[in-house]
Amino acid sequence: MKKPSLHPLTWWIWAGLLAIAIVRFQSTVLTLLCVGAVAGLVFWLREDAPWGKSFSWTLKLSLWILLVRTLIGILIGVPIPGTTLFTLPIIELPSWMPGIRIGGAVTSERLSSATIEGILICAIILIFGAAASLTSPHRLLRILPVYVYEFGVSVVIATSALPQLVTSVSRIRQAQMLRGQSLRGFRSWKRIAIPLLEESLARSLELAAAMDSRGYGISRKRSRYRPIKWRYTDYLVILSAISVVGLS
Amino acid sequence: MIKFSNVSLVYPNSTKTVLEDLNLEISEGEMVLVIGPTGSGKSSLLRLINGLVPHHTGGILAGDVSVDGISTQLVKPGGMSHLIGIVGQNPLNGFVTDTVEEELAFGMENLNLSNDVMRKRVEEVLDLLSLAPLRARTIATLSGGEQQRVAIGAALVTHPKVLVLDEPTSALDPIAAEEVLSILQRLVHDLSLTVVIAEHKLERVIQFADRIVYINGHGETKVGTPEQIMLDSPIAPPIVHLARALGLKDIGTTVREMRRLTHEVRGKNYHEATHEVSPQTSISIKIDNLKVNYADHVAVNAFSTEIYNNEIVALMGRNGAGKSSLLKAIAGISKEVSGGVGVVGSNPQNLKGKERLECIGYIPQEPSDLLYGQSVAIECEQADVDNEINPGTTAKLLSQLVPGISGDTHPRELSEGQRLGLALSVVLSSNPKVLILDEPTRGLDYQAKRELVSILVSFAKSSNKCVVLATHDVELVADLATRVIFIADGEKVADGSTLDVLLSSPAFAPQVAKVMSPHPWLRVSDVTAAIEKL
Repeated sequence: MKKPSLHPLTWWIWAGLLAIAIVRFQSTVLTLLCVGAVAGLVFWLREDAPWGKSFSWTLKLSLWILLVRTLIGILIGVPIPGTTLFTLPIIELPSWMPGIRIGGAVTSERLSSATIEGILICAIILIFGAAASLTSPHRLLRILPVYVYEFGVSVVIATSALPQLVTSVSRIRQAQMLRGQSLRGFRSWKRIAIPLLEESLARSLELAAAMDSRGYGISRKRSRYRPIKWRYTDYLVILSAISVVGLS
Repeated sequence: MIKFSNVSLVYPNSTKTVLEDLNLEISEGEMVLVIGPTGSGKSSLLRLINGLVPHHTGGILAGDVSVDGISTQLVKPGGMSHLIGIVGQNPLNGFVTDTVEEELAFGMENLNLSNDVMRKRVEEVLDLLSLAPLRARTIATLSGGEQQRVAIGAALVTHPKVLVLDEPTSALDPIAAEEVLSILQRLVHDLSLTVVIAEHKLERVIQFADRIVYINGHGETKVGTPEQIMLDSPIAPPIVHLARALGLKDIGTTVREMRRLTHEVRGKNYHEATHEVSPQTSISIKIDNLKVNYADHVAVNAFSTEIYNNEIVALMGRNGAGKSSLLKAIAGISKEVSGGVGVVGSNPQNLKGKERLECIGYIPQEPSDLLYGQSVAIECEQADVDNEINPGTTAKLLSQLVPGISGDTHPRELSEGQRLGLALSVVLSSNPKVLILDEPTRGLDYQAKRELVSILVSFAKSSNKCVVLATHDVELVADLATRVIFIADGEKVADGSTLDVLLSSPAFAPQVAKVMSPHPWLRVSDVTAAIEKL
């Protein structure tokens, strides 16, 4: 089956609507269902292009956020009464910080509320991550009006730098492996952070120079070659998201 | 068409003068070639033409550059886009859209041309550059040669009067390079387009050039016809070295001219060169029915071969033939592999840490990937630590390989050749048994290439070592390799001594062989050696 080609804004609007729905659901099961459906959709529809590969990184990132969020939720906060799972030692805080407690009894209620909030945040990150990986940043630029020229350049550069960063990371990590270095731990990341930043900066400058020498933004009006039309498939995608909002 | 009057250029925070008092007038329909060592300012000269230097890069510019009467001081690069098409060193970094057609239209959309004009011109360019079958393809999936053609097409749709290209063939195989260059020549002849081109591989372009601008890297420039410049230029293609070695009065820049000039030399009765058969030593790399599968295609298919100690094997083939995949499989960094690879008796995928370093040295396509230190000295120290060798060993090796690099220099500030030298010394400091290089000569000038050849030859000669490299550079292969494996679509097409493989196909024959055919000589030194034996 040929994958449908959609208007570049479709997936972003869709993501926005789904995020609203998730916030209104207030239900972990439905949120997880939503995320599962979105992930499935991404793995089915994504193109074999740099931005298509960015979703798995969003996935990893959000799992980290979930973990950190839950840990903090357990450690810091007001005590919630309920069944105690285990007790952590309480760290003494000065008297001018009343109501805040670090450590103490961890109740199942506290654990679940921390996890549920974490899942909500991650779900929203994932949904927008899905939109980013389903939409080509270049197509997004084509529909932008010219009077937001500077904004357009920065959007294109930012959105195309991120997926390229992902490609660069895997390339550089491969080279690290070749130098017989361990790929684990904070130090291995620290060593590639600066070369990565340099490379993406250099690339962005090159892209900006190329856009400039090809006359981007010199004319107040910009014509369209094969204008991107809003088609019935776009309405279908948006409608599906609206109906999810309606259900919530 | 293009006029440089008293142009001097200095970059801020740099004491080096890039250009000093350059006066140059390029007329319509001229093809001008810019040559010089790496880092001498060729790209700067090209980018001066449409004002990217100094508008984008900064730098102090004295004098004036004007194109078709418009001075770059008054107009920004965007305002020149209808006049000048510019194709950067790495076209992939300059693409703004996804598909071929959209990319071609981008420049015209910016100029606000009407839709029917755009449709017509896109078709024109698709035909001109034979891109029509690729029109709906995603640019990222095209081969290097196709991408280069799209970049040229995107520059041509606005009907510019000047086309500027920075090393358009450095990443291309000989056939794709010839295709791109012959298109350029046709544009010069048919449309009287003015073309300015910078290129290291002179053997590919010199026959097309009307004039050459030589930049020596210290601000001095020399302008003249190819014959004038080639009389004493240190940067010269093998064909010119041949003319010098033979003591010819005239210097030919094409194979045809040189064949006329060497008619007499070729006619003499030479002794049959005796083939030195190198003794077969023990096996270093054994590849048995190797397959590399990516999600959508087979990169390497049922590949078997044995590589012996002391061999230097060159992998050749079109862009996308599977050379890099094969090298990655040998190095054990490819996951999608089935079949057997043995490097000095062990499976490269299982090697880790120090064991890996002592077995395989691998230089990726971008040597800078291997470097992430903030200075050359830090880089060398890290290599000492990784290899558990005496501190200072890598730095010493580096000073042997490429003398004169200061330890405080940042790896990014090095020239391409120096950077490759640094990567090589980092890799060689662990004394690996097998050295693998993926296209090492991208962006290298002749001087750096000569140094690379001597480093690799002495490495392979030392006991029980072998070198495998993938390259498009026929002249490098002629100078360096003892054996050539030719692959197409992931399958082995030819495998034999360098002499046999290179002489069997005209597209992959080095210039000297083309001139001296039917004599089986690949290098200038082969010719002089044969003459001495007379």
